Amino acid sequence: MSQFYQVFFEETSEHLASMENLLLNLDVNDPSLEDLNAIFRAAHSIKGGSGTFGFTDMTSVTHVLESLLDRLRKEEIPLLAEMVDAFLEAGDILRAQLEHHQGGPEAEADVIASVCARLNQLAVGEAAESQEQDTPTETTTSAPVRKIRLSCELPANQSQVAESVDNLLEGLRDIAALEVKQRPDGTDGHLIAVLTTQACDSELKDALAFYCAPEDIAIQPEVEEEAYGFFDDLGDSSATDTADIGYGFFDDLPDQTPSVVPVSSADDDGFGLFDDAPGAPAASDAPSGQLAEVAPGDSPAAIEGIGYGIYVNAPGGLGLFDDAPGAEKILQNSAPPPFCGKTAAAFVEGVGGAASSAQATQKPSQADAGRRLPDNPSIETAKSGRRDNDKTVTAANTDTSIRVAVEKVDQLINLVGELVITQAMLAEAASNLDPVLAEKILAGIDLLSRNTRDMQESVMSIRMLPMSMVFSRFPRVVRDLAGKLNKQVEMKTIGDNTELDKGLIEKITDPLTHLVRNSLDHGIETPDKRIAAGKNPKGTLTLKASHQGGNVVIEVMDDGGGLNRARILEKAKEKGLAVSDSMTDFDVWQLIFAPGFSTADVVTDVSGRGVGMDVVKRNIEGLGGRVELESSPGFGTRTVIRLPLTLAILDGMSVGVGGETFIVPITTVIESLQPRLEDIRTLAGDSRMVHIRGEYLPLISLAEAFGLDGEADITKGLLVVVEAEEGKAALFVDELLGQQQVVIKSLEANYRKVPGLSGATIMGDGRVAMIIDVSAVTRMGLSQVKQRLAA
Amino acid sequence: MDYSETTGVAASGEYLTFTLGAEEYGIDILKVQEIRGYDAVTKIANAPRFIKGVINLRGVIVPIVDLRIKFNLGGETYDQFTVVIILNIGKRVMGVVVDGVSDVIQLSSDNLRPAPEFGSVLDTRYILGLGTVEERMIIVVDIERLMTGQEMALMDAAV
Repeated sequence: MSQFYQVFFEETSEHLASMENLLLNLDVNDPSLEDLNAIFRAAHSIKGGSGTFGFTDMTSVTHVLESLLDRLRKEEIPLLAEMVDAFLEAGDILRAQLEHHQGGPEAEADVIASVCARLNQLAVGEAAESQEQDTPTETTTSAPVRKIRLSCELPANQSQVAESVDNLLEGLRDIAALEVKQRPDGTDGHLIAVLTTQACDSELKDALAFYCAPEDIAIQPEVEEEAYGFFDDLGDSSATDTADIGYGFFDDLPDQTPSVVPVSSADDDGFGLFDDAPGAPAASDAPSGQLAEVAPGDSPAAIEGIGYGIYVNAPGGLGLFDDAPGAEKILQNSAPPPFCGKTAAAFVEGVGGAASSAQATQKPSQADAGRRLPDNPSIETAKSGRRDNDKTVTAANTDTSIRVAVEKVDQLINLVGELVITQAMLAEAASNLDPVLAEKILAGIDLLSRNTRDMQESVMSIRMLPMSMVFSRFPRVVRDLAGKLNKQVEMKTIGDNTELDKGLIEKITDPLTHLVRNSLDHGIETPDKRIAAGKNPKGTLTLKASHQGGNVVIEVMDDGGGLNRARILEKAKEKGLAVSDSMTDFDVWQLIFAPGFSTADVVTDVSGRGVGMDVVKRNIEGLGGRVELESSPGFGTRTVIRLPLTLAILDGMSVGVGGETFIVPITTVIESLQPRLEDIRTLAGDSRMVHIRGEYLPLISLAEAFGLDGEADITKGLLVVVEAEEGKAALFVDELLGQQQVVIKSLEANYRKVPGLSGATIMGDGRVAMIIDVSAVTRMGLSQVKQRLAA
Repeated sequence: MDYSETTGVAASGEYLTFTLGAEEYGIDILKVQEIRGYDAVTKIANAPRFIKGVINLRGVIVPIVDLRIKFNLGGETYDQFTVVIILNIGKRVMGVVVDGVSDVIQLSSDNLRPAPEFGSVLDTRYILGLGTVEERMIIVVDIERLMTGQEMALMDAAV
């Protein structure tokens, strides 16, 4: 069993994350049923999983959560903002419990208890209230209070004991007004009672669960009078009123006897609770059996699939189910065609209604849809059918993904790299063959090279993940922090689907969190200050990701007060940093990244950010990226992070020096040119500078730097102008070999760090080429120049 | 293999023997990953002369040390008979260039004699002992200690 724990942990974290995401996106005033359902499903899956693995603490929390959600999604009670808060807290508790099961610290019991109590109170309190309102005006439209006939078969050992029966009835009285029609006694265990209640079927079943098996319980609406009979004209209006609840309202047998339909209902929502229509006797058992079979599978998708179906009604009343596999099955199992007229209509109703009961019960407002839409009956259904069909598709998509350990993917990437090299070797060997004689081999090698290239690309893409993986955690951060700071902040994300290497995704989260917190804390002002400044009291924080060239650009933007130039300069002077009032804004903002440039005393509440900005910068540079700041007083600040697409691959320019191949990262290359002798100047005798477009750049010979016998004649080689954080420099190389993507290999793994090199790679011919650390080389060159100047 | 065993004077077990010039050396066979021919290496800037450079061993960058240069034995020719022994030491992979691999021998602690103290390039610290097999003398080297030693400069000082 324990080998499945990890799967459960991972799945549960995902469910929790998606639940939180949905909750945050939920519009309290107009919650979407789809979202509520999705939240419910997530909670339900966690409950199911934790139950299976015996994590009862999680089961009990999710159960409470689920009960409230269930009422919400059935629109029995309205959604309140405090419920969302309670849900989020419950989510936190579940996460804490999950961590506890993974070996973390234990979740605090009193917190759990208080949140559970709150959830319960929200669920029960609301229920009592709405019952009061609704009971007197019980109507056929949206009143959630129902009158139902409950019948169940108690086992002999229970029914013989009067106390036990009393207890049972007492339990029912707690949730419903009870009228006992037939009291079980020692000889007959049959209980029939008419209940007026607001509780849903599952609650009733829960109440009875202690006494008898759920499949022995049948719940059906009590039919009293004509009021329910709005299906009188079913035969004509054709059976498309799925909006109605599958509780058998369309039952046209006024004198419904206690003949109990032993409908089993494995799902909470009381699937399959539709009554027999005369003439379709097979309909009830078969489909409910079918449903029962599917429902316990605990797959939301499966339930979903059953729940809806477009069925276009033929005039004759022949149901044509579409799209929903569950419904289709029902039809196959239960519909002995041809049906006609009233019977068929009722049957289709029955199936459709039952199948969609989960959804339909949440739409009591549509309860009279049959009456409202006699002319155009299929519109509503068709719409909901289509929508849910879409959902089934997405559900199927998530099912087709598999979990793979990262090491396996990395191994695959390595192997494909090998394959590419082998293929290149093969191609080289084959280039000596006579193209006429070896035509087939050459064609095969061509094909092989194409396929390996495609394969390499696909394998590389496995490691890529969408930015939404990172962005998705921020709505919560923003919400919590904004609440704490009494600020109103709206968060927007743009470019969620921008893909980034998994390694980078993991490492970018912390710096981004830092920037977001800074923006909220110091950037966006309090509502009154914003109003005073003539701005919308609600600040906006935007996270944006996009591809630009070989880079991924991530921006954190706020419309807050911006950076305060004067304060930063002042503080920098205090710190003894080299500053002057004539510095450009760009340079001033860079000061923030200086180590030790801390906020606390530096920055006013509106202007600055500096808490660990040096850490942010260092982290991002460690990933091969860059950070830039733009700010304008009163309009906000924008932090731009530029990152390479992946840590493992680098777009490089290969250059030859003294017979060796070196890779210069293409992101650092500005241009390459053939130097003219008159552009080369010397400084202090031997240090060379090159004059390019008005700039004097230090000239660094890679051959000298790496101790190789390179081209000595400056006019025969080439200059590659590079830009690093230290500034620009011109690298002198023998020749340019080409441009290609290379896989970065660590030199440190088996050797050690080499000054001036950031790693190595394997070229197409299987040889190793060194990747130049442009900043280090530039630094080496610059320090040489400085030394000479000083000397 | 237990570390204390390898550093002890007398460790018995199987040894791979190889020749460097006229001398015959033995190393613990369990440290050997594979034996391959000498291939072109990529030079590393500012490395000691005995570090020939790095090679690509099935996607792994492996540094290559020429023990003939390290031990001042001369005769640095690289031909089709030049052999590279790929060693697996700790979690690292590295290669040593030798003149040729002879065979695998069994040495018990009985026929291992401690090396006499005398000044040589090869510090006696790195010699486990001198083994005698028939008429041959085999210098048994503690290859792990040798390769991870500071003077080999194969690792960052901090490691």
